[in-house]
Amino acid sequence: MIMYSLKVNEICKYYSTTLLFRDISFELRPGEVLAITGWNGSGKSTLLRIIAGLVRPSAGRVEMHVKDEAIPKESRRRFIGMVAPALSLYDELTALENMEFFCKVRGVSCHRQDCLDMMDRVGLTEHVDKMCRNFSSGMKQRLKLVQALIHNPPLLLLDEPGCNLDSKGIKIVEEITLNQRQFGMTVIASNEKREVDYADRIINLSE
Amino acid sequence: MKSGRWTTQTGSSTYLSEAIAIWARDLRSEFRTRYAVNAILMFALTTLIAVSFSIGSFRIAEAEKPFLYAVLLWIILVFSALSGLSRSFVKEEEAGTMDVLRLSARPQAVFLGKLFFNLTLLGALEIIIVPSFILLMKYEIELPGFFAAMVISAGLGLGAGTTIVAAMIAQASARGALFSALSFPLLLPLMITAIKGCERAAIGMNTTGWPEVRIAVAYVVIMIIMSLFLFPLIWEE
Repeated sequence: MIMYSLKVNEICKYYSTTLLFRDISFELRPGEVLAITGWNGSGKSTLLRIIAGLVRPSAGRVEMHVKDEAIPKESRRRFIGMVAPALSLYDELTALENMEFFCKVRGVSCHRQDCLDMMDRVGLTEHVDKMCRNFSSGMKQRLKLVQALIHNPPLLLLDEPGCNLDSKGIKIVEEITLNQRQFGMTVIASNEKREVDYADRIINLSE
Repeated sequence: MKSGRWTTQTGSSTYLSEAIAIWARDLRSEFRTRYAVNAILMFALTTLIAVSFSIGSFRIAEAEKPFLYAVLLWIILVFSALSGLSRSFVKEEEAGTMDVLRLSARPQAVFLGKLFFNLTLLGALEIIIVPSFILLMKYEIELPGFFAAMVISAGLGLGAGTTIVAAMIAQASARGALFSALSFPLLLPLMITAIKGCERAAIGMNTTGWPEVRIAVAYVVIMIIMSLFLFPLIWEE
């Protein structure tokens, strides 16, 4: 297993003059799962977006290392897979076309059969040629999970991964989290007890 | 679900391969939704017909035709482009796909992909509008080669200029007004050059060295290089 690590150092986030959170620090190593909990509006999703490099922190630093060598910020995103309610896929493409697109832009060699296998793992085999705009919110969530995992990211960021999912979908999230434990790190932002229970450590932003 | 890693092989992608993937996806989406094509073509065709009807009823002196027709042609092309080219970025923002694209592709590749897409739309627009304009207005051109080079090079400049402005305004609230307001000063030097070049091509004036084409090509090169440096800053939060 390649030794990746994530270091979050004294992250603060203000929106205008309102403090969202401050001095958030933690370190994550392969095999670890961290849960971020907190009230609505406490900044769980924002913290995940900061880790992903989608939002700049007001203060502090996020670093990712591979074998103690820092990964440049502009390259970090390629080591991250993310699922979030605000992260949409392309509605005017089919599920398969969406996955083929993400494989191509991420430089993942992926044949149709690989895509079909991936869809099979989240229970979307029968829907691969359907337009995503016709998907239910649960099916979209399953497809987002595939999108986040196609490049086998060492860091998986899951923002409310079980939202809109039925019991089978929730089981898939559980298995994905267990799998990720063997190969990389996971950060889950959620208040669902079942999802928080996957974690080794919890950071509560409301405290 | 089976356990173990996903079966895909992580390889490496180049800027060009990422840009081509984005371009192909945009084209596929556009083919299905006609999001930008409808806006651009409808504007271009209605303006062209309005211009041909209104100008046709006036007797314009032969000496004034080359300049006047060049002005009208570029007004139609520039404003048609302004009516739809911002949508390559705006639709990503509206559909909530900006973040997933930010996570998947490098900024320069996104810019190049969007540029290729806008150039494809502009190419299609020019292929339809320029010959139609020449036919409807009975536009006589003495130097068709120079004229074609001018239309192509200025079209490339138009695409490069509007793509970077589209990226800048995509997250703003008053996008439509802002796109025109920001694009216009940026495109004005190119537009003046293109009008001058088309006028000279129509008259058949001495065009040794194709100065207007060279200016337009220089504009394209400068705009693309600057955009590749600036776009990552725009693309970040």
